[in-house]
Amino acid sequence: MSNDVIAKKRKNRTSTGLRTGRWTPTFFVLPAVILLFLITIVPFIIELILSLHVYEFTSLADPQFVGLQNYVDVLLHDARFWNAMKITFIFIIGAVGLELLLGVSLALLLNRLRRGRSLITSLLLIPVMIAPVVSGMMWFMIYDDKFGPLNYIIEIVSFGHFGGTAWLAQLSTALPSVMVVDIWQWTPFIILIALAGLQSIPPELYEAAEVDGCGAWQTLWNITLPMLAPVMVVGFLIRFMDAFKLFDVVYLLTRGGPGSATETISFYTYLRGFKQFSIGYTAALAFIQLIVIIFVSKLFIGYLQRQRGEEVA
Amino acid sequence: MRERKDRPITRIIIYAILLLALAFFLFPVLWTFVTSFKTQKEFFSYPPVFVPQQIDLHNYIGAMIPPPDGRNGFKSLMDSGIVALGTTILSMILGAPAAYSLARWKTGGDDLSFWILSTRMFPPVAAALPLFFIFQKLKLLDTYYVLILANTIFVLAFVIWMLKGYFEDLPTELEEAALIDGCSSFRAFTLIALPLVAPGLVATTLFAFVFTWNEFLFALLLTRRAVRTLTVMVPSLVGGHEILWGEIAAAGIVAIIPGIVLALLLQRYLIRGLTLGAVKG
Amino acid sequence: MKRYLYTVLALVMVFTIVMPALAQAPNEDPLDVYKWDYPESFGNVTIAVIGDAGHNLKPYEFWKEDLAKVGITAEIIEVPFDAVYEKEMAEFVVGSGAFDLVTFYPAYIGDFAGNGFLEPLDDYMVKEPAAVWDPAADDILPPFWELYCRFGGKSYALPIDGDILLLLYRKDLFENEEEMAAFKAKYGRDLAAPTTWDEYKEVAEFFTRKKGDMLAGKELAHNFYGTAEYGERGFSVYWFLNRFTSNGGMYFDADMNPTINTPEAAAALQNMIDTLPFMPPDVMAYGYEELKDAFLKDYTAMVIQWSDVPKKAGDPELSEIGGMVDVAVLPGWAMEDGTVVHRSMMPVGRVLAVAVDSANKEAAYWVAKHLSYDRSLDDVATMLTGLDPYRYSHFAHPEAYKMFVSEEAAADYLKGVEANMAVGFPEIFIPGSAAYTDALDLQVQKALTGEATPEEALAAASADWDKITDKLGREQQVKLWNQALESYKALGLIE
Repeated sequence: MSNDVIAKKRKNRTSTGLRTGRWTPTFFVLPAVILLFLITIVPFIIELILSLHVYEFTSLADPQFVGLQNYVDVLLHDARFWNAMKITFIFIIGAVGLELLLGVSLALLLNRLRRGRSLITSLLLIPVMIAPVVSGMMWFMIYDDKFGPLNYIIEIVSFGHFGGTAWLAQLSTALPSVMVVDIWQWTPFIILIALAGLQSIPPELYEAAEVDGCGAWQTLWNITLPMLAPVMVVGFLIRFMDAFKLFDVVYLLTRGGPGSATETISFYTYLRGFKQFSIGYTAALAFIQLIVIIFVSKLFIGYLQRQRGEEVA
Repeated sequence: MRERKDRPITRIIIYAILLLALAFFLFPVLWTFVTSFKTQKEFFSYPPVFVPQQIDLHNYIGAMIPPPDGRNGFKSLMDSGIVALGTTILSMILGAPAAYSLARWKTGGDDLSFWILSTRMFPPVAAALPLFFIFQKLKLLDTYYVLILANTIFVLAFVIWMLKGYFEDLPTELEEAALIDGCSSFRAFTLIALPLVAPGLVATTLFAFVFTWNEFLFALLLTRRAVRTLTVMVPSLVGGHEILWGEIAAAGIVAIIPGIVLALLLQRYLIRGLTLGAVKG
Repeated sequence: MKRYLYTVLALVMVFTIVMPALAQAPNEDPLDVYKWDYPESFGNVTIAVIGDAGHNLKPYEFWKEDLAKVGITAEIIEVPFDAVYEKEMAEFVVGSGAFDLVTFYPAYIGDFAGNGFLEPLDDYMVKEPAAVWDPAADDILPPFWELYCRFGGKSYALPIDGDILLLLYRKDLFENEEEMAAFKAKYGRDLAAPTTWDEYKEVAEFFTRKKGDMLAGKELAHNFYGTAEYGERGFSVYWFLNRFTSNGGMYFDADMNPTINTPEAAAALQNMIDTLPFMPPDVMAYGYEELKDAFLKDYTAMVIQWSDVPKKAGDPELSEIGGMVDVAVLPGWAMEDGTVVHRSMMPVGRVLAVAVDSANKEAAYWVAKHLSYDRSLDDVATMLTGLDPYRYSHFAHPEAYKMFVSEEAAADYLKGVEANMAVGFPEIFIPGSAAYTDALDLQVQKALTGEATPEEALAAASADWDKITDKLGREQQVKLWNQALESYKALGLIE
């Protein structure tokens, strides 16, 4: 299928010349924007001001204005911060990456089914429904070295050769174990939005491809995945931001340990904010995270817009 | 509808893979289910108990009924439900039109879009304390409103961005036709665009509900007693000197049920064949 | 329609019959050990109580009628065990006035009392008549009272739960003749509860066996280990502190310089690392439950744990070792002059305090006093709570502890706990406690996992502690720490 044809097909999809009244677009957006603005602007400003002070709740001293000193301390003098960022990024690339891979693959498979698709999809959705506080506890039981079913099953399946290991107690396996729980919980999310996205690919694209003699893999590569890409990028962004916030599972499974092997940036921020009540420092930590997230998001959104841009051309 | 004849062997492979996936995704749930019937002795025993000696509901009763004898799980179920429902409804009602506006008319350009998304980016761990102060001053702590508002911050942005994507993928022909026929933008939106993105709408609603249902940090800090969601109740079962595994499992199972019911109800809309054919029709 | 009504009726009947039956009181006849009296009625007041969720809140249920007699209704606000500090702190700082009575872990007394969030109780304690208001502070074991309930020269809290770490060991294994002979042959001394940390390591090594080996005449069905300790992040530091403090260790000197980076500290940490091979391989993930189960389910010969574990040892639902437990004082460190110094950490524990912005301080105080004194023996002697003894009078009545096989067994248990309490050592309880503890815990973990040498870990912790002190205001911390040191001296914990 020639690229012109595809481009022409895409062009019809996002023309922005839809007629409308002058203020209609604004009215549509206004309620949401007002609400968001009101709820977020005050905390944002408070945090910003706090980040410029040294303020310890547990101290009798008054907050002290220190300008950007907190930021300097975080970036230059805080090894634990960098460790937490490292752990978080390993987590994101590993867990979210696998979620995308698994999720899209499973969605593609599901899409080909006619029978049983609804049932299987509903069943696959269940992990997302379970509150992390509950699933955290359950995986804690499953990972238990002596009494947990995981090691037991491993032992049986390997005919006694492998007895499993202390998943949460070892430096080498703690972080992967936490990642598995996240993958387990969120792959269904990706499956679902990928499936919804697959469903909205117009069939005539596939018909045209077949007419042109494209094989299965070519279709997948040239049509399905590119059409799916925008939805997947949104899904990735959402997961990326959420993985940054990963807290519940770490809290329940390892409390950041052993050592600091699973101390994600979110957990570290929590320790500073709620165990130490270093309010100013925590605010600085939060803003630095915000900047990182904004930066990465902009990259991906830029990609999304280039996609749209091609289509309009 | 795509007609693709799969060879039987392909079909078997597909089913096999999906079965494996199902086993992985469902095992912890089944384990939780089985655990909810166990006695204290059966929690930590080797070999692990896969089939409890007796199926009785003592853990469920203990988890659900009000104190002093139970953990008040039923109230937590209700509280979680109210907060999740409230947040979802609020976010969908405000978010869908906003998403439509961003998709169709690029309102506010890239900056507005990005700002909306960015409201979700601030680490909740750090946002929790200022929110706590603000709502304490407003005397809204320990109410449904405070949780609905706090959760809406994160869910609204999610809803707008998800729906924006689905609207952008929707061809505009039908709406254009309707507008030519004299329909207002609003009617084009509600009567044509919304139904056409039904699968996306449903997926988004489901996740908006689930995100709120599962939220922990705000629920912990912003409520005390009058409102107690499941996410606060379950960790309370982890005591200093005891962990009530049975009740945790029972509460966990009960907590899944609304989500499953919702998913099943919305199932039909989710994977229905699209009426996109009508567009080309 | 009819069927529906019948079902509802049936359910109602079930609940009205079942629920009262489930309502529990700890004993049929509460022991009349204490002389106490009711105050004048407070009218119709509601006392909001915040505490960690779980069975430790049961006393409010047991003694509901006592409170009702004087017009008090207790409204309980439960928080998850780990969230007590942040929840209470946040509410205090905004002055929300949401609680009248606060339950907390006494390590926070510096944070709360030092910041003026708690009502000083000295005046309430001396009100007349004494039978109503006097909590008998001299009946409370001095370490607990002096270090955990008082701050800056004033009393702020009343205890309800005295946690202390004990050395528990398997009576049956230690008294087994084969094992005793084998031990004597190998080490040249009798098999007994270890008195020093080096002995502790040796005994642990001795009992670490593989599946298939023999133990006390029986073949092992699974790997067996000498001992187990708390390895999970968050609390593992206390197990290090047992060794550190008995080796003469102290947290800071009089100028608030950390004194944790010493050869004694390194030796203490090294001992812990050296004993790791004789603990189960997943010990770094052990929290309270896993630690208890490792011992009660017959996986280790010894365990260092909290004082409520022996109470559970005889319960077949929880334990496979049939109550074969003995309590000993924690191992100590041999000093140059030949004496052995023992120290036992007192992590967690629970105390009750009155919030300074409570509208019902007297009523709240009386509730605290009632639980901490009048009804305290019943509360610590029952299986239905996890509360542990902290008064001399608690130790003097073994007959109250009905979960033991015999009164003698109970008396042995109490002797063991008392012996450890006599050498009890507190957590850091000045402001910043949570921060200091977390910083040290992280470094201890790094040393245990091999990520850092003991020296590196302790140096890093020391540096962190200085940073924390600076952040909180060095002058203030020095002042408060010196006040704390007065208490330490008064108890003979330091010269």
